[in-house]
Amino acid sequence: MENTTTDQQTPIILSRIPPEAEATLHGIEVKKTRYRRNLIIAFAVLITLMVATLIIIGLDFKFMIKWVPFILTGIGYTLLVSFLAISLACFLSVAGALGRLSLNPVLNSIATSYVSLVRGTPLLVQVYMWYIALPQIGKSLEDLGITGVQALFTLPAIPAGILALGVCYGAYMTETVRAGIQSIKIGQIEAAKALGMTNSQAMRRIIFPQAVRVIIPPVSNEFIAMIKDSSLVSLMGVWELSFRAIKIGRRHFQSLEMLIMVAMIYWVMCFILQLVQEKIETHMARGDRGTS
Amino acid sequence: MMENSNPMIKITNVHKVFNKKLHVLCGIDLEVNSGETIVILGPSGSGKSTLLRCINLLEEPTAGSIEVDGTIIHAGENSKQRDAQILDIRKKTGMCFQSFNLFPHMTVLENIIEGPVTVLKQQKNEAIPYAEELLDWVGLTEKRDEHPSRLSGGQQQRVAIARSLAMKPAVMLFDEPTSALDPELIGEVVDVMERLAKEGMTIIAVTHEMHFARDVADRVLIMEQGVWLEEGTPEQIFSHPKHQRTRQFLTHILQ
Repeated sequence: MENTTTDQQTPIILSRIPPEAEATLHGIEVKKTRYRRNLIIAFAVLITLMVATLIIIGLDFKFMIKWVPFILTGIGYTLLVSFLAISLACFLSVAGALGRLSLNPVLNSIATSYVSLVRGTPLLVQVYMWYIALPQIGKSLEDLGITGVQALFTLPAIPAGILALGVCYGAYMTETVRAGIQSIKIGQIEAAKALGMTNSQAMRRIIFPQAVRVIIPPVSNEFIAMIKDSSLVSLMGVWELSFRAIKIGRRHFQSLEMLIMVAMIYWVMCFILQLVQEKIETHMARGDRGTS
Repeated sequence: MMENSNPMIKITNVHKVFNKKLHVLCGIDLEVNSGETIVILGPSGSGKSTLLRCINLLEEPTAGSIEVDGTIIHAGENSKQRDAQILDIRKKTGMCFQSFNLFPHMTVLENIIEGPVTVLKQQKNEAIPYAEELLDWVGLTEKRDEHPSRLSGGQQQRVAIARSLAMKPAVMLFDEPTSALDPELIGEVVDVMERLAKEGMTIIAVTHEMHFARDVADRVLIMEQGVWLEEGTPEQIFSHPKHQRTRQFLTHILQ
């Protein structure tokens, strides 16, 4: 149903509230404050317990601090791979979603098989595909007489990682974008068409801007997952965050310290992203919150 | 009003069949002259809305032809210009929906200039003065920069009318524009429609607003099961209906 708010919100006249109602309202307020206070206490206790555990098991904090700068240098690779891969995934997912919704049999079948194949195979296998198996395809093609393909298909670790992550996440996000587009009410398309818009104008001006609001939370989710999955490029020997932590940990037989540290670094990054997501959501929601 | 020998709208033998078996329109003919106000009445499911949606090709007629202001579309025909002709008809036809369908991500003003800017390729600052004029005409100047969710249903429908008018259409189609409104908000929308009719707009309205049908319409048509049951001036239809079925239907909605 469309909302039917009145022109102006009628101001509530406080003096009319009877005293017994005041008491009820006060009770609700007290309950809220108490809940907030207890929540803070619970969190504080939890954190204290965790820190205490780390101290009791004799964690070598000096060792951790000593290696922080070295590990953090790997953050560049993590962010580079994640940002480029998510950009690729965004592009692929919009193209994929349009393909999935397309009435053109060629585009539709390509998009559908892409999603099905990529979603149905492990990311780990895909990473090796791009890195180790692709050169073999290049070689076969080269043998068939197409020159220069092998060199083109032999990818360095970072591009291979970006492609693997981008293509994989693109497939998942295709379904997110498709669902987002389909969540927009048919009346919006009809109103756009009634104005004389072409399908692509309606998509660009009316459907997509509204779908973006719907898909921001799930896409942020994917991005956060991607930051962590970018550690998979360490399989190909890229010196990113987790690769560095694991190396140092093993070398000094202090894996616990290193793993806890790198876990915290990932967590802080994802926490920041979560804050960014919330900002974007509030920004996007301006105007259409109200009662709708 | 310029006297025009050709009708503004000419619908010839239009059929609409859904899912191969649901025969909603069964050979509808209709001619509407420029400046005429037509009200279509009929029981729900009789095909009124479908006919309206066939006029601007939101539904493709299964057979027959639709002509709006000189542009003609034949059902089932596949020509290269067809898509362009459909867009052409839609540009000449404004439509108001039962559920308003304003664009929620845009302000009221942005909603109104969307058609002129995107479809007619006008510059924004070119489109704004007329949009403001329309906004004033529907009495919502103060809501210019609000988002639709902040408006009442009646206000939303008035903005929707302004949005359609911004395209300077030759015809306005109203598909039950007041059915989703609270009773006290119906008046403001009907009032706008009435003023539009008085200013000479060609109007086809599917509505159960009896005041509009009786006092504003030039002609009233009753549809039942995809065919015209009766047609006449409001006076004829409301005071001396020929058919028993018309009488039954009218007593039903007038009570």
